Amino acid sequence: MKRFRNLLLEVFLVALALGFLLPVIVMLYNGFKPYSEIMSNLLAFPRKATMDNFVGVWRDMNVPALFLNNLVITAIGVVGIIVFSSMAGYKLSRTRTRYSWALFLFFILPMLIPFQTIMITVLKLAKTLGLSNSVLGLGFQYWGFGVPLAVFIYHGFVKTIPRELDEAAYIDGVTEFQGFTRVIFPLMAPMTVTIMVIDVMWIWNDYLLPLVMVNSNKSTRTLTLAVYSYFGQYVSNYGYAIAALVIAVAPSILFFLVLQRWIVKGVVAGAVKG
Amino acid sequence: MARKIMRVTRTGGFLAFVFPAFLLVCLAFYIPFLMNAYYAFTDWNGIQRAAKLNGLANFSELLQDTDFFNSVLFTLKFAVGYIALSNAGAILIAVILNRKLRAANAIRAALFIPYILSLVIVGFIWNFILGAGFQSLGELTHLAVFRADWLGDLSLVPWTVISVSVWQSLGFYVLIYHAGLQAIPQEIYEAALLDGAGPSTKFFKITLPMLAPSITSGMFFSLAASIRVYDVIVSLTRGGPGRATSSVTFDIYTEAFSHNRYGYGTAKSLVLLVVVMAFAAVQLRFMKSREVEA
Repeated sequence: MKRFRNLLLEVFLVALALGFLLPVIVMLYNGFKPYSEIMSNLLAFPRKATMDNFVGVWRDMNVPALFLNNLVITAIGVVGIIVFSSMAGYKLSRTRTRYSWALFLFFILPMLIPFQTIMITVLKLAKTLGLSNSVLGLGFQYWGFGVPLAVFIYHGFVKTIPRELDEAAYIDGVTEFQGFTRVIFPLMAPMTVTIMVIDVMWIWNDYLLPLVMVNSNKSTRTLTLAVYSYFGQYVSNYGYAIAALVIAVAPSILFFLVLQRWIVKGVVAGAVKG
Repeated sequence: MARKIMRVTRTGGFLAFVFPAFLLVCLAFYIPFLMNAYYAFTDWNGIQRAAKLNGLANFSELLQDTDFFNSVLFTLKFAVGYIALSNAGAILIAVILNRKLRAANAIRAALFIPYILSLVIVGFIWNFILGAGFQSLGELTHLAVFRADWLGDLSLVPWTVISVSVWQSLGFYVLIYHAGLQAIPQEIYEAALLDGAGPSTKFFKITLPMLAPSITSGMFFSLAASIRVYDVIVSLTRGGPGRATSSVTFDIYTEAFSHNRYGYGTAKSLVLLVVVMAFAAVQLRFMKSREVEA
């Protein structure tokens, strides 16, 4: 009976997920159709699938170089966000003073600021600091933009780690930082993975910040910027635009599928017994 | 004396952990925000070199700006619908997926994909579906759903914007609740089972209360997303028909970059932020007070 109900729920959710993805699926198989077929009927399946669009895009765009830019920016960004936010989120959650609540608010309220309203002065400041027009500089900039959400998530999660573990970590005569990296940080793994997934998806596919910071120079452009310029240029050739989009988005989706297995149960639950 | 040293090293430890992130947030948000705030007291148009101070003129104009108040109203409407639907939907889906369904990982990934498609593509897809797609479906099925004018009808268009926004971000909230569910100790459910608790008792008496930290997060993230809603509106309706779907962020952006009134637009964003921050602080206080510590 329970098995049957689970099956029913599963069928329902698979249908829901397919419904969710329907627009994306339609777009996807249009990438395998020649131009004339896309124009005559967008909804129809390709009569015979062709890789022409992908081959064309690969020839047009310098995919490996763009890919490398994305990789560098995303790696720098995510690592920095995780390091600084895990430390701050943990310490803020464990400290109970008059100021820690205010400080916590200070960290997370920036999430309420629409980026469009400050982007002119963000660019100004980045220029002053020498961070604009540079792949590395863009990576560093994501640290600040990613901290609020990550601190929020860590801050909430640390409460589920029993305080006894802190004490155990520090009793053995190690420094506070060593205790943190050896005991506490591994326990936060589910949240670290969650934040990694969210931030990789965000930074890899981000559009507005790279547009403002690194679009002026061909060598610093990101994959996403190249794809969107495609959408502008080839407005009449959806096949190319779609193929470019698939090439750009695919790596981050693969990353999602691999990483989400690590959001596992019971890491903390089994840490303290009795 | 010893106690004082203790306190100093403890404060030192606190700073070492918190200060780097503090500095980063200042550089990314607060310093640009304060640099920007200056323009709220000028008539800068966003292009010319010099900005002329004009005191509080922008703020007194704001008090009589019905467009702005209508945008606030729309944003509130949007926020209520978006926050309710995305959180309730995500909790439900995350809880079901947590029953170790075989396709769970694939489903979570599928739901997440719309989240990474931005502006141009979302607009492209939905304009197509709501236009040509619905038209051919309407001719095929004769259902009223497909015949309604989802982008033109004043009473429907807010729902269109809300639905597309939920479509785009539901996977994000499912992920948040999925991670939250993993932190609930299995022992509690086992104990409840021994006490003869049914599925609905387990959901309302264990799962929901234990999810409180995640619900706080979900509520806050969706509130923040509602304040910032812009992409979906630009790509779907451009604030229309008329100004029916103009959100505050859209209104501010239009003012600053289309009407070339950067100073006035900044004044709007300043007022918006002060009000919203007050709201958010109250909401968080309330939500946090309902959480339990392990």
